[in-house]
Amino acid sequence: MKRFGGLLILLAVIAIATIFYLRQRNVSNVPGQGAESPAMVTAATGSGANDSIIHLKGLIGGEKTGLLKDPEVIKILREKYHLEVDSDKRGSLAMVQEDQPADRDFLWPSSQVALDIYRESKKPMVRSEILLNSPIVLYSWESVTEALLRKGIVQKKNNTYYVVDFARLVQSINKGVTWKDMGLPQLYGRVIVYSTDPTQSNSGNMFAGLIANTLNNGNVATEDSLQQSLPSLKKFFDDQGYMDSSSETIFRQFLAKGIGDKPLIVGYESQIIEYGIDSASDPKMESRKKEVRLLYPQPTVWSSHPLIALTDNGAKLIDALQDPQIQQLAWTKHGFRSAVGADNNVKSLSVTGIPSVIENVIPMPRSKVMEKILEGLK
Amino acid sequence: MLRNSKTAGILGIFGLLIFLTGCRDSSPVADSEITGATPANPTVQIATKGTLRIVSGSESKTLAPIVERWGRENNVAVEMEYKGSVDIMLALQNPEPFPYDAVWPANSLWIALGDNQKRIKDEQSILWSPVALGVKKSIAQKLGWVGKPVKVEDILKAAENGSFKFMMTSATQSNSGASAYLGFLYAFAGSPQALSAADLQKPEVESKIKRILGSVDRSAGSSGWLKDLFIQKYAIYDAMFNYEAVLIETNQELLKEGREPLYLIYPSDGLALADSPLAFVDNGSSERATKRELVQSLQKYLLSDAVQKEILAQGRRIGPVGDKITGMDMTVFNPDWGIKNDAFLNQIRYPKADVIRQALNLYQSAFRKPSLTIYCLDYSGSMKGERIESLKAAMKRILDQTEAKKSFLQASARDVTIVIPFSNRILDEWTVEGNDPTALEEIYQKIDNLQPDGGTDIYSPTLRALEILNQKSAKSGEFFPAVILLTDGESNTGRTIDDLRSAYQSGDFGENAPVFGIQFGEASQSQLKAVSELTSGRTFDGRKDLTTAFRDAKGYN
Repeated sequence: MKRFGGLLILLAVIAIATIFYLRQRNVSNVPGQGAESPAMVTAATGSGANDSIIHLKGLIGGEKTGLLKDPEVIKILREKYHLEVDSDKRGSLAMVQEDQPADRDFLWPSSQVALDIYRESKKPMVRSEILLNSPIVLYSWESVTEALLRKGIVQKKNNTYYVVDFARLVQSINKGVTWKDMGLPQLYGRVIVYSTDPTQSNSGNMFAGLIANTLNNGNVATEDSLQQSLPSLKKFFDDQGYMDSSSETIFRQFLAKGIGDKPLIVGYESQIIEYGIDSASDPKMESRKKEVRLLYPQPTVWSSHPLIALTDNGAKLIDALQDPQIQQLAWTKHGFRSAVGADNNVKSLSVTGIPSVIENVIPMPRSKVMEKILEGLK
Repeated sequence: MLRNSKTAGILGIFGLLIFLTGCRDSSPVADSEITGATPANPTVQIATKGTLRIVSGSESKTLAPIVERWGRENNVAVEMEYKGSVDIMLALQNPEPFPYDAVWPANSLWIALGDNQKRIKDEQSILWSPVALGVKKSIAQKLGWVGKPVKVEDILKAAENGSFKFMMTSATQSNSGASAYLGFLYAFAGSPQALSAADLQKPEVESKIKRILGSVDRSAGSSGWLKDLFIQKYAIYDAMFNYEAVLIETNQELLKEGREPLYLIYPSDGLALADSPLAFVDNGSSERATKRELVQSLQKYLLSDAVQKEILAQGRRIGPVGDKITGMDMTVFNPDWGIKNDAFLNQIRYPKADVIRQALNLYQSAFRKPSLTIYCLDYSGSMKGERIESLKAAMKRILDQTEAKKSFLQASARDVTIVIPFSNRILDEWTVEGNDPTALEEIYQKIDNLQPDGGTDIYSPTLRALEILNQKSAKSGEFFPAVILLTDGESNTGRTIDDLRSAYQSGDFGENAPVFGIQFGEASQSQLKAVSELTSGRTFDGRKDLTTAFRDAKGYN
């Protein structure tokens, strides 16, 4: 039985390799005739390489827009994998909860929780795989970071700023400590970490999970622990007042409006890396960037990017996005860490202060617990 | 003004409030300037990079020449339309395709309240300006306010003891009014980190906010118009809440006329800033990618160092919000006018969208000074047919309280609404005190039942309206009075403007009885304008969109 299984695997590998070889050869030599899927067969009489392209439709979290619009990524997907991706932006939780039309091939949310919710809904899924990761971080400004360093809440290690006492920061916020108490009298009112609306946007949502864990003495929040912590959690978000509904908006506004508007925000690590590339030609933003500080909560949570294939074609995208070149571009240009073992060398980045490894990570609460949190925050 | 019928159709759907002031308000980049280089031919524009339609708050008018210059340099035809903040919000909420490629309201708050369809992208703050109280400097000195922090409570006391007469725009129609109002709420709620629904229910907040709003002497629906009125009525009013940028413009004009400038007070416990965001509106149209690039290119231009310096020279602040600015021109940001140019400006944080909505509804239905509105409606023979139907629809939007609430125009328990239908004579007079929806609906039924007939005399109903205003002792300052006069013709019988003039001047109603003319059909613009000017009101164009014209006129009291 064992030997037979091994033989099957061997045969399968040969078969895949053969198909791959044929496909490569056909595409490079005889455009439009390397059909392996029905769609390609019907296209064979057409003219040009366009006909062999598979068009995929799907929904993505907004933070991956830059990656999927990257001309280099588009080129690899097209030339090497014959895929063309048409994606719309949607909130991670919204996309897994809506009805899926028949021509939708994939969903690419920004959290494991979204994947869990989709799984539990028992809707069709061919397969899923986490392709990229990015930790939740705080963005701040030089003077705020200095104040937090003085208070011992933040420490600098190997050029990276860590919120070593994240629990104390959360306590201070809930106690109503003012910026004046922190030695920054010019800033308005109380110490607040601004996030996106947790009921609408993934980064805010993950931050709510992280705070719920912190309020449970650093253990993953449970339905039981919420009974006690929900009022504090609600206050934490209520005190923010107006909340943006997109991670991209809050980050851009943070950079544009400066310290007087938002001294401290929640975001993804990937955002500053992608932004660093985007704004490379803008000298004014370049100088603003120098004042920005990236702070890693200890522990933090991973924003994972699981691609959920709804169709067989969607599953092809899972394979294609594991391409080493795409994984490399995802890191150096868009800031996403590889979830499939590609190398993430911090030296290849244009931004400093990014650690090679994110060591101190706590899992997000289970999806049932997150649903309770969201209900409570609504 | 409209370039082609398609544009006209699109614009018609949304209705422009700016038609009357036409060329001044709507400033499409002059065709001649684009086509000037080539033989005059409107289709040449197609060969350019296309058209960019921007809807903006009135305070951006000063920046229109810069935007037009960008258009010329990039072969883009720019059309700027000006609307109030609430109109921009309502247009965003409307599920119809949005008839503009970009929005540029005074404050991101209105995008947050309006963009429930998530069509707004690439929002970028172009400039910012705090909302301050400008007071005649000698009064500020008398009050001991020069160089001292002043709290909202201090302003309340000074206004109540008659130290000055002041103006501010309606919080539910105009952003500068909304900003000042939210600042008051923060101060009276004890400077919370974020104003909550519970704060709005506190009795002490309600009582103080009613007092300060009750002491406002004149309201308006637009910040730019308020400035013009202030300068015109400088002898009567002493202070106004407005953008620092507009107060700077006011002072520049006052100095030219040799008058004492205003001293700016930035309430220390309730300062709000306007952040002037320019954003792309994604309609999902086939041109979306091109239009988005145009908006991004315009943003880049406006945020470039050279243009930012120009904007700064116009009294608008640039760079990080609230932060100190280097390179301010001290003759513009003049410290003698109280302008803070050396300190970090600490602004309030906007509350959650639903709290803002609740605050605005409370302003409209309970907190504001009540309004006494008299509608004089033309029922002459020429109104028959389509016109009378438009009139009914427009009045329904105001009298039907569910409809009115959508535009934050619902009546309060203390409001008084009077309708005077007229032709060559006064036909009737219907009054409702308060906001009972059934009573207001009954007036609407009467409007609906009445048939148009006869000639036109606009002066008799206006005189009657002024008489009522006097009887209702509105002069005591208990109400914001307004007469809204709709006509579709020329007054050719009965009384005259001279009758109105002598009555207005002899009446002890004083300066605070504005008549807002609504021009409809073939109405005589000169007659209405004469009435509006005499009474320091304003004329609105109802020919394209009567409903919006009524709504806007109502927004002035």
